[in-house]
Amino acid sequence: MQPLANVTPLRSPPRAGAIQINDVGQVYKARGQDVLALSQVSLDIKPGRFVVLVGPSGCGKSTLLMMLAGLRQPTSGTILINGTPITQPDPDRVGVVFQEASLFPWLTAEDNVEFPLALRGVSKAERRARAEEALKLVGLEGFGKRHPQELSGGMKQRVSIARGLVQDPPVLLMDEPFAALDEQTRMTMGDELLRIWAATGKTVVFVTHSLTEAVYLADEVVVMSARPGRIVDQLQIPLPRPRTYEMLSGDAFSSLRDRIWRHIRKSA
Amino acid sequence: MKPSTLRRLIVIALIALWEILPRTGLVPELFLPSLSSTLKAGFTEAGEYGQALLVTLYEVGVSMAFACGGGILLGALVGSLPRPRVLIMPMVSSLYAVPLVILYPVFTVWLGIGSESKIAFASIYGFLPTMLATAAGIQTIDPQLLLAARSMGATLTQRLVRVVLPAAIPTVLSGLRIGGALVIVGVVVSEMLISSAGIGYLISRYRTILDSPHVFAGVLLVLAMAVAFNAAIKWIERKCAIWQTGTRGAQATDDDVATGAMQPAT
Amino acid sequence: MERMTNTLARIAIVLALFALWEVLSRMGIVNPRLLPSASDTLATLCDLLRRASVRNDLLVTATEVLAAFALAVPVGALIGFLVAENRYFADVTKPLLFFAFSIPKSIFLPMFILVFGVGFSQKVGFGFFSTIFIVIMSTTTAVESIKVEYLTVARSYGATAIQTAWRVYLPSMLPVLLEALRISMIFNLTGVILAEMYASRDGIGHQIATWGENFQMKQLLAGVVMIAVIAIAFNEMIRWVETRCSHWRT
Repeated sequence: MQPLANVTPLRSPPRAGAIQINDVGQVYKARGQDVLALSQVSLDIKPGRFVVLVGPSGCGKSTLLMMLAGLRQPTSGTILINGTPITQPDPDRVGVVFQEASLFPWLTAEDNVEFPLALRGVSKAERRARAEEALKLVGLEGFGKRHPQELSGGMKQRVSIARGLVQDPPVLLMDEPFAALDEQTRMTMGDELLRIWAATGKTVVFVTHSLTEAVYLADEVVVMSARPGRIVDQLQIPLPRPRTYEMLSGDAFSSLRDRIWRHIRKSA
Repeated sequence: MKPSTLRRLIVIALIALWEILPRTGLVPELFLPSLSSTLKAGFTEAGEYGQALLVTLYEVGVSMAFACGGGILLGALVGSLPRPRVLIMPMVSSLYAVPLVILYPVFTVWLGIGSESKIAFASIYGFLPTMLATAAGIQTIDPQLLLAARSMGATLTQRLVRVVLPAAIPTVLSGLRIGGALVIVGVVVSEMLISSAGIGYLISRYRTILDSPHVFAGVLLVLAMAVAFNAAIKWIERKCAIWQTGTRGAQATDDDVATGAMQPAT
Repeated sequence: MERMTNTLARIAIVLALFALWEVLSRMGIVNPRLLPSASDTLATLCDLLRRASVRNDLLVTATEVLAAFALAVPVGALIGFLVAENRYFADVTKPLLFFAFSIPKSIFLPMFILVFGVGFSQKVGFGFFSTIFIVIMSTTTAVESIKVEYLTVARSYGATAIQTAWRVYLPSMLPVLLEALRISMIFNLTGVILAEMYASRDGIGHQIATWGENFQMKQLLAGVVMIAVIAIAFNEMIRWVETRCSHWRT
């Protein structure tokens, strides 16, 4: 691994992470009974890939993401990121972008982005420089002094992405980041995310409910089923990049979408 | 007419009536001394009122430290531990239904009629709502914020200092506002009941000799105190306005305050 | 199941407090003259309840509380309704009401004595005064809690004014109104008891103040326990009704 200091997301060679999920299961207790949330999930994600998890509610896709973030431990199996197990949150390896409202309302946009750096005692000057860089990357130059409630929904999510990227982690996890946005903003943010991804070359794992969003963004879509959550299909999305709005109405696009939809309808 | 204009006219009319009604004899001076005679009574005895004010302020200050310090501390503790919260909070809010003023005689027996009994009573009086508000504030902190902090590798201490504390500030402030108002009421009421010093004592003494202007001067002084305290907290709240969206609880607590769920009951 | 354990645990906490009280006093850790034991206090309480004079005091207080309540609730509800339904009236009066609501009421108690003298009307008057503002505020909140959609739906199906009042206003306001009732009662009881303690010839508040002045700790503590039990019982009763109606609240 290369040293972190003096490396900025834009100019550095891409830091992308490999993810190996081996036979992971998750059991939780509810009303004294064991509930199987995830069963025998195995997945290999190559560095720099954009992978989208879809599935009906309760299929454990968010649970899986929380485990990748080190916020939960698998009951069985292992998760390796760049070859080492992830047993606790490790912002050096994994950045997380949540649904809306995970920005601290009492901090300005740049203070929010600096937050993870402040936790590890990075000097003020370096923090500021890196936060500015990250905000510029997400297209929010000059908005650093605003508080979250002075920003639109899309801008808030951009700040979240900047916060996820500020430590230059090789892996970026996104838990339905655009679910609360309106349709147009959602489309724009999708394009923005693809641009940022292309510029940084991160490995992205993205959870969503929207099949259109899944096919539009992904290199690979992983379809999960509920009770217990397992992987039922893995589709490569052969659409060329950059993705464009016109592709949405193409036959290739709709047949991919249909295939995912049939899986989900069957398992729900 | 604009509502605010009419409102101002109403306030002016009320003040004018306060002066005119007693002067023309429509309302006896004993019931309602005119504004001017009230102010005159206050100014001629300024020294006496000033001394009483010092006593009252001292008692209010000490009680506030006990009530708010204890209330915030215990509220934070109970609010952040799920088990005690479920167990204790309903009991505390039941206790809130008891007219606590009946405890004051107990304190006078235990502590005498000096400042100690007032401080003890006012501290307990202000403690409950401060604790309730703080516990409510802590427990409604958006769990997403804590999760986000954890994902960035924040330690337990970092989560407490950098997330829980700032997120709880608005609720703590509104708890402080109610608790503080109750402390003022508690001190003045206990002075009115049994004591030998303070504004409440002056009000009661002048009442027994039917000296209405002096009673009113004392009442006005207490009102000014309560209003000034309220304004001070509001000012701080505005300074922290940016926090207001930090918890869903902040809004909820404000609603509670508006509906009186946690208002001074006297 | 879990509710059961919680209730049991709460009862255990209360019992433990009483036991602590008993031990502190019996072992002489605190002066038993200043803190008579719990058992003595409860015995005194039973004794007091048998006395005609105490029962009379309770009756006086109950009458005052009910009278003040019966006056304050309709008047307050009417004003509150006007404030909620009339935009202009609301804009004019709301800040004034908020102000009146936020200032301490008890310091005006001497004025009620100056105006009414010491007696029934003074206490009812003060009880009314300490309750009315909270009734106004909560009625306003109750009316404002009705969703506009409900009214639109009712109107679109051709509901008459009476039908709207009966089928939309009342059911959707009920939980908030019960809450208002509960809080108003707390304010009312506090107001009346304070008035009795301050200057009065009868009533349970007066009795408690007298016991305190005469250092009759057993009676004083018994009185405190009595009032507390009555207040909590009333409070829990309304809360119980509230939870039964809670399915309305959405």
